[in-house]
Amino acid sequence: MKKSQIFTRGLIKENVVLVLMIGLCPALAVSGTVRDAFGMGLAATFVLFFSNIIISIMRKAIPNEVRIPIFILIISTFVTIIDYFMQAFQPSLYRALGVFVPLIVVNCMILGRAEAYASKNSVINSAFDGLGVGLGFTLALTVMGAIREILGNGTFLGMAILGQGFKNAPVIFMILPPGAFLVIGVMKALINKYVKKETQ
Amino acid sequence: MTSTRSMVVTLFIVALVCSVILSFVYSYTAPRIEETQKELTLAGLKEVIIAEVFTPVVPDTVWKAIDSTQNVVGIVFRVFPQGYGGPIPLMVGLDLEGKITGIRIASAAEGLKETPGLGVKIIEPDFREQFIGKTLDNVFLKRDGGEIDAITAATISSRAVCNGIKQAIEKFASYLCPPLDKRCVFPDAQDFIEAITDTLWYAFGESDTIGIVFIATTQGYADQIEFIVGVTMQGQITGVEILYSNETPGIGEVIRSKEFLDSFKEKIPDAITGATVSSKALINGVKEKVECYKDYLK
Repeated sequence: MKKSQIFTRGLIKENVVLVLMIGLCPALAVSGTVRDAFGMGLAATFVLFFSNIIISIMRKAIPNEVRIPIFILIISTFVTIIDYFMQAFQPSLYRALGVFVPLIVVNCMILGRAEAYASKNSVINSAFDGLGVGLGFTLALTVMGAIREILGNGTFLGMAILGQGFKNAPVIFMILPPGAFLVIGVMKALINKYVKKETQ
Repeated sequence: MTSTRSMVVTLFIVALVCSVILSFVYSYTAPRIEETQKELTLAGLKEVIIAEVFTPVVPDTVWKAIDSTQNVVGIVFRVFPQGYGGPIPLMVGLDLEGKITGIRIASAAEGLKETPGLGVKIIEPDFREQFIGKTLDNVFLKRDGGEIDAITAATISSRAVCNGIKQAIEKFASYLCPPLDKRCVFPDAQDFIEAITDTLWYAFGESDTIGIVFIATTQGYADQIEFIVGVTMQGQITGVEILYSNETPGIGEVIRSKEFLDSFKEKIPDAITGATVSSKALINGVKEKVECYKDYLK
């Protein structure tokens, strides 16, 4: 498979949230606003990229029977180091992204990519895979966040794009947890239609 | 198939290496993290009241705000009222008249647990700035008879902020008039002349010395209690105020109550039931120090 294919595959065709249906917890929880969704997506992409590289480098040294605990140890250590450094040297970045870090440490999406891809493929391919899957995750979250923020809060990135009147009385339901389920369901249905058409 | 031993050994080595790396990173970054935390706290304090220096009165809870000319301009306190999703980290600045100079609510990244998109709107300026200039009398939601507009669909969070501020003002009001100057404990004096640096002053009336004012410390229940006392030449106490204490909130802190401190003017009071250690510490501290400085009353 070509590098570009490895990369683009993760964006839509094998979108981690909408097709593979993993990493749903942060997708539902952190898609209330575009800002949060995008921040979570970028933080996850960063971690996914490097965790894939690290796991791929170490893949030959990891015994098959205990690979899962070793993946967890490596990923959580890596994320915790990033967390400490961000707190110490980039406090403003930490204020924006720090809230997502604990969600990433225990994220099944990152462990899932380590298990399904990075532990079996070369470092370069794993890096592309991590990047593609991460950006696909960011894309899905940002679209969800945009829909929910526009309908549920009347704003996009904080700007009242549907007029002040709508902002004062938006569809609050959309920004609450049930809104997340509704949006992810509709998006899943649309993408199923699209992906099916593509494969036929 | 890998042998059991090699599985255990590999897992052990990976875990060991990870913990060693983590502990190194932790010990390297911990002081920096503490420093940035302090900077953030200071920045937060400056957001709620205009002042140069903040000296803690109760560690991490109450600060005295001091401006560039060394005058106390107010106090800042930090409270955590219960919101919809959890405690709301809240900082409130009060000027000397008890008016709110500003409030600051931590963002979600700093520990706010209100509903994203709804309750978290309490951190927006539109909501926060309503509180500036309000006092204990009108810091309620409009529907509760006050002057604050609640956030649509986030009444619980909005009300929690109001209640938190109200309770905090009530609780910390006694800190607002700490002895800003020595006249607080010796109202009759016209002037003070230092006799022992930063410790004891002669109080002057119209023409001659009418008493002394001194600052002293005593060991309380949790921490040192620092207090200031005024005494007339006849040995009569004219006032006692607490400068610093960190006693148990709701128990030992009653020694800050006005009734208790005022009762020193009549005679040395009895210990307060339920706060015996703290109140006895202050009573004995005052007694001892008055005795110790009685030579200055001649």
